[in-house]
Amino acid sequence: MSAVAEVLDCMFFREVQGEAAEPPPEAETVAVQLSFDGDAPGHFQMRIVRPAANAIAADFLGEDPESLSARQSTEVTLELANMICGAVLSRIESRAAFRLGSPQIVADDAGKRGSAEETRCTVETGEGALTVAIQMEKRTCQPNEKSAS
Amino acid sequence: MAYRVLIADDSPAMRSFVRRVIELSGFELSACFEAGDGAEALAVLNKEWVDAILTDINMPGVDGEELLRRLAADESLRGIPAIVISTDATENRIARLLALGAKGYITKPFRPETLRAEPERTLGVPCD
Repeated sequence: MSAVAEVLDCMFFREVQGEAAEPPPEAETVAVQLSFDGDAPGHFQMRIVRPAANAIAADFLGEDPESLSARQSTEVTLELANMICGAVLSRIESRAAFRLGSPQIVADDAGKRGSAEETRCTVETGEGALTVAIQMEKRTCQPNEKSAS
Repeated sequence: MAYRVLIADDSPAMRSFVRRVIELSGFELSACFEAGDGAEALAVLNKEWVDAILTDINMPGVDGEELLRRLAADESLRGIPAIVISTDATENRIARLLALGAKGYITKPFRPETLRAEPERTLGVPCD
């Protein structure tokens, strides 16, 4: 969670309001997935409720939320996922080499799948929940903290 | 003194953010160019002089590392300081990019004041 909190605080000027429950399946959400390779390859997913995505995008771009386009909201959401993934990986494997793939919007149900090797957490952004999950195919060392926490 | 800056990042949102933060921070800009990847950055540099380059690393096509290599290989461009802005904060990556000629490194996420401080340091701008 600290990686998520740091990204939201530094770049998006909002304070995480603690851990939260994942939004219900019927909630309108945006799901992003990206893969990373290198010393510790794997996959990262982010799922965020749409009101939170739009609010965060508006803050990031300095725009009025009402005038934000869908394209702008998507671009910022992709960048948010990119930054959180990078922050998480840098915490887990500070000496490892990794390369992030391009984040992609995926079908919402893709963000809900879990696996035995997955680390996942959900935070409250102030406008709704944001969930991140990471699966690493090979760990070179034990994480110092819960991976996506 | 006002500076001419080139921002290279494949994310339009990030380019907009960097530009806005730099402008709001009081760092004096006389021109701000944007590029979506290293190839576009080199095309801009072929036409325009800039005082500093702020570049992402993970870009399609000509990425940030390759951009640094091409800048170093070009006598007319190697003197332009390039500052990397990247999500990758691993020691190996930072060391490699500095060895390729990057003059500064900003890790995402960053505080807005960092986005001003690093170019100022690189360009030798006196502090306020």
